[in-house]
Amino acid sequence: MSAPRPPLWRALDADPSEARAAREFPALAALPPVERRDVLRLMGASLALAGLSGCDWGPDETAMPYVTVPEGEVVGEPRFYASAALMAGYAMPLIGRTYSGRPVKLEGNPDHPEWRGATDVFLQAALLDLYDPDRSRTPRRQDRPADWAAFDTMLADLRRRLDAEGGAGFALLSGEVTSPTLLRQFAALAARWPRARRFTHEPLGDAPRREAAARAFGRPLATRVDLARAEVVVSLGHDLLGPGPEQAVTARGWAERRRAWRAGAGAARLFAAEAAPTQTGAFAERRLVAEPDRLPALARGLAAALNGAGAEDGLSEAEAAWARAAAAALAARPGRGLVTAGPEAPAEVQALAMILTARLGGLGATLRVTEPVAPSGESLAALTEAAEAGEITTLLVLDANPLFTTPGADPFRAAFERVPLRIHLGTHRDETAVECQWHAPLTHPLESWGDARSRDGTVSIIQPLVRPLGGGRAPAEMLARLLGETETDARAATRATWREPWGAAFETRWTEALTRGFVAGTAVPELRPVPLDPPLMPDRPAAALTLVARPHPSVWDGRFANNGWLQETPAPLDKVTWGGVIAISPALAEEKGIATGDELRLTAGDRRMTGPAWIAPGQARGTVAVTLGHGRRVGGQVAAEVGADAFALLPPDGARVFALDGIEKTGARVTVATTQAHQAMEGHDFVRLTDRGAPLPPEPARASFYDPPKPSPGWGMSIDLDACIGCNACLVACVAENNIPVVGKDLVAQGREMHWLRVDRYHAGEPADPATYFQPVPCMHCAQAPCEMGCPVNATVHDAEGLNLQVYNRCIGTRTCSSFCPYKVRRFNWFDLTGDDPPEIRAMRNPEVTVRARGVMEKCTYCVQRISAARIAAKKEDRPIRDGEVVTACQAACPTEAITFGDMSDPETAVSRAKASGRDYPLIPEANTRPSTTYLARVRPDPEESA
Amino acid sequence: MTDAALDPIDRITRIPGDFPAPRAWWICFGVSLALLLLFLVSVGVLLVFGVGVWGNNIPVNWGLAIVNYVWFLGIGHAGTLISALLLLTGTTRRNALNRFAEAMTLFSVICAGLFPVLHLGRPWLFYWMAPYPNTMTVWPQFKSPLAWDFFAVLIYLIGSILFWYLGAIPDFAAMRDRSRSRFAQVAFGLAALGWRGEARHWARWRQAYRLVAALAVPLVFGVTASYALLFAAGPVPGWASGIFPAYFFCGAIFSGFAVVAIIAVTLRHALGLGALVTRSHLNLIGQLLLATGFMTGYGYAADAFTALWSGDAREIATLHDRWTGAYAWSYWGAVALNFLPLQLLWFRRVRVSPVPLALIGLSVTIGMWLERYMLLVTGLYRDWLVSSWGIYHASFWEWALFAGMIGVFLAPFLLFVRFLPVMSVFELREARHEKREAGHG
Repeated sequence: MSAPRPPLWRALDADPSEARAAREFPALAALPPVERRDVLRLMGASLALAGLSGCDWGPDETAMPYVTVPEGEVVGEPRFYASAALMAGYAMPLIGRTYSGRPVKLEGNPDHPEWRGATDVFLQAALLDLYDPDRSRTPRRQDRPADWAAFDTMLADLRRRLDAEGGAGFALLSGEVTSPTLLRQFAALAARWPRARRFTHEPLGDAPRREAAARAFGRPLATRVDLARAEVVVSLGHDLLGPGPEQAVTARGWAERRRAWRAGAGAARLFAAEAAPTQTGAFAERRLVAEPDRLPALARGLAAALNGAGAEDGLSEAEAAWARAAAAALAARPGRGLVTAGPEAPAEVQALAMILTARLGGLGATLRVTEPVAPSGESLAALTEAAEAGEITTLLVLDANPLFTTPGADPFRAAFERVPLRIHLGTHRDETAVECQWHAPLTHPLESWGDARSRDGTVSIIQPLVRPLGGGRAPAEMLARLLGETETDARAATRATWREPWGAAFETRWTEALTRGFVAGTAVPELRPVPLDPPLMPDRPAAALTLVARPHPSVWDGRFANNGWLQETPAPLDKVTWGGVIAISPALAEEKGIATGDELRLTAGDRRMTGPAWIAPGQARGTVAVTLGHGRRVGGQVAAEVGADAFALLPPDGARVFALDGIEKTGARVTVATTQAHQAMEGHDFVRLTDRGAPLPPEPARASFYDPPKPSPGWGMSIDLDACIGCNACLVACVAENNIPVVGKDLVAQGREMHWLRVDRYHAGEPADPATYFQPVPCMHCAQAPCEMGCPVNATVHDAEGLNLQVYNRCIGTRTCSSFCPYKVRRFNWFDLTGDDPPEIRAMRNPEVTVRARGVMEKCTYCVQRISAARIAAKKEDRPIRDGEVVTACQAACPTEAITFGDMSDPETAVSRAKASGRDYPLIPEANTRPSTTYLARVRPDPEESA
Repeated sequence: MTDAALDPIDRITRIPGDFPAPRAWWICFGVSLALLLLFLVSVGVLLVFGVGVWGNNIPVNWGLAIVNYVWFLGIGHAGTLISALLLLTGTTRRNALNRFAEAMTLFSVICAGLFPVLHLGRPWLFYWMAPYPNTMTVWPQFKSPLAWDFFAVLIYLIGSILFWYLGAIPDFAAMRDRSRSRFAQVAFGLAALGWRGEARHWARWRQAYRLVAALAVPLVFGVTASYALLFAAGPVPGWASGIFPAYFFCGAIFSGFAVVAIIAVTLRHALGLGALVTRSHLNLIGQLLLATGFMTGYGYAADAFTALWSGDAREIATLHDRWTGAYAWSYWGAVALNFLPLQLLWFRRVRVSPVPLALIGLSVTIGMWLERYMLLVTGLYRDWLVSSWGIYHASFWEWALFAGMIGVFLAPFLLFVRFLPVMSVFELREARHEKREAGHG
């Protein structure tokens, strides 16, 4: 289900020669050529005025309300712009909805060839990063506020010096950069100062996979999995469906494959061997709990089994059986198999997985191999070496935070101090910024011009949804200024990049790129490299305790730590918010007498980390899993003091799987703010399972005194539990769409989180290796709603379209509705949660949704504002609302398209068809609430194949 | 006059002018004023910051406030029942007990009524529950048990005030006539509404008083049913039970009689009223306590039986949670405090000894509070969906409000004890007269 395509707008573009601009802004078309800034000022409408007055610190702005509304502007009507946000250097294509120049919601771009409208939590939450009140606003010198003039003087001095010395001693350190414009500028920089060096440090990036590709194919190539075509997937600790820059794409492909399998086309089999539970393991038909040091042996065994040699010795019986079954499944689907190993796995295991996939004929189908979409610089180790040797005199850190994202014991930290001049460019005053002589603020991608590639290489032109809020500069502008170019504008720099390749068609193609949100045909061509011989596969020494450090599903490597939406998003598996946990196996917990919430101290050499214990069902006995990204020391009010820093525990080489020397209780107890303390279904059937093609047994008819009303339209939702991977994109989308406040760790720990939509997670079976299910729970909009009966003041009522409405200004807060709600989806404003929000956050709010006051109840509305918008549009055109015209925020966000919404009174709609399928069931039918939200049962693996 | 000085009934009218235990009264009154101050602070904090200062959450979004509401109301019911029921049945033994029991009712209904208002998210809008013509043209939602509860409690409050006040009018007149200070004369005179003791006055008074009493008795059933339905009308396992109205009624009068026992014994001792609150009165209270205790016990048994007999897994799970879950202490605490000491009341010797009776009353008062807590919290903390189970701990400000509310109860009650006749003087006289007449006859 893709969102109906809204009319897309180009960003407010200065060039009046544009025919399209003339159509869109007739008032502008008549203007003589003007500066972009002047246009923006004139356009005030979309950009600078009214709403933004509170958060625009620009010195040259005068805030004023509309006296004469700019032509073409309809106050209250949204405009949509295609752009992109960035994740680890790669583009996340999106469409931003803006009201009066304020972006309020980001959606996926359904036309993008790789993402196809999918989103993830990071894309959804990028909006809050844009409005983050803690963003850096002025340059800083020696961590004290300075002004841009001083910073520019410093840059000019630097430029003169570099000109004189040919760039000797200059180092540029950035994360992964895929932007053609920045790469063009890097090239210009290298041409002008040939002795300057560029380094790349992407903490949780693709470097391990490229290294593995080098072992598999002889060259450091980029690899992507294509789960839409993979009928048999064997994962050696690779969390394909888990959080990360690829999740939206892999999840969509996986869901497509699974849908095809349910419809009878091919297979959708997943075998996973993993040490710590993942979302991928949750869907594996055979999940093998294996310590990380077993991966080489397992890979060997799998290779041997594929060669027909049977399971190799050295494997336990269970391991051999798993390897045999996986090999048999792979062999049964030639050309449709994928073997893959996670980025934490030893390089040779990853390489062997690629080689096996290639031998199975998966290249070009299940595994896409390309040249890297963008060249990387030298490694951080090289920078460390050069700095230690005193070769680096100036270090320019571009949008990276290496002093947080390197292991605590990394020699880089000492080497960094030895660089005489350190300049940090970033959106926040972070750990690296405070250690640099200079810091200057960067803009967020959503407020600046630029470009970037997604993983398949498709270029997105980044156009601003709003004028820079905090006075930063775009990265391209920074580099242009460093290079002393006359035209320093980021838009000009971006256009310059594309003017040459596009030649005469430039303006047309530029417009097309802006309106579509990507440049068609820029995907990097695929390669069919010949796999090398399998590398040697030495056994890893077995350790009693192995630590696995993984990126945190919400804050990643710490870069999103100041994002309250993400901090408050419960992690997919442990449902913990605001900080990571030290996950241990149930067996280890029993042996050491550890309970959830005990503070643990982990020791590896002289490195230490403390954090709360979490008992993770399905974790390998000796594996201890931690997440990176928390424990930020500076970086904003939200980021600081949340959780513990796991980078401090990593060894100097940055390995994320290593032997742990000790784990012990400190004796203290730590509050773990989880949103779901109970993991078992306690004998209930909240999540139902069925066999493929087998309908669920029909629900017994339940007594009703009256004939159930059949409203038309009657809104309903269907959620496919066979597709939900628990990724939380829906949850964050709901937060963004519905102005849901962030409440903080203490209130979450007290059970007062405000999420209208939550994703419940259940385990079933043995704690050592349980089944795992995800279940998103919005309001059920019951036809026979107990809440409506309970409310004494008519504050929650049923409407003629089957919606269960909450009337905020009628609510007096008796909370009876919540007491009576069997699904506990209602949320109460225990305090005034929004009154003291900073102006930035107010500017971000969706004007279509009421901001709730203290003391009132709230809950999922099925995005009633979107229903209203569709109803108005339909009425204007005198037609019924079309199926698919109303797309709820959660539905639009879902990368696996698990959510269907629409009119249940029409049997032809998608939601009616979903509900008519044999997998449809209501949650807690015995409460006899007749919910409008129902679920599609999860489908068990085919029995004949799982043997 | 010397004879009158020895007359125990006359002593009652002299208490306001010449209080027998001023020191003890001042100490008690000081404590209750401190609690009253605590009440004001707790309410202030609540109104400034919001109901989030309490420990409530999702799923347990009702907490101590509703527990206390039910508990205070239950206590109040005993006063009405003792007074009105015994009046209607013509039992003269009520005369020693009815006045202070009615005062107890009045003040506990006020306390009870404050709790659900303060518990609202927006307490200043509580009047939206009332069916009044308004510019929003919105009525209350008449299907809601809360709307009916609001009506019931409001009517009950008005009824309790009327009943108490009507019953005291002849005594106010007596006080007016005996007061020496001008202020007291005017104050009691106003309160007496020009009562002159005419036969006409007596006839009308008797008519009105009996009418209000006849209204008050069914009202008790109505109020207990209304707040029982607060729980029972919803679909919550452990709440949705048809026995709740009866169960709550028994529990209410049980806890009420317990408090009557405490107050009767205390007043009897403090004010030297041994000749009026006789052993026979104590015996009556003890018997009522025992009887209502067994009714309540039957409620426990029936509730458990219904859950088990229903075969409903969720009802059984809730019962299991009550017995063994995180709040089992409240269940077993209620059972132990309500029913174990109660068994001593089988012995007449215990029933007529003031101190044991008061202690048993105290035990039942606490036990019934635990029962209310248990019923409310165990219903909510683990209801339908396992993912939403949660634990509730009352916060400091909830306890502070509870303690403060006891001050709201005690302060006016102590003023009543100090300045008004704690027993119905004219009725005692009337009863004595009738008894003497009967003796002479």
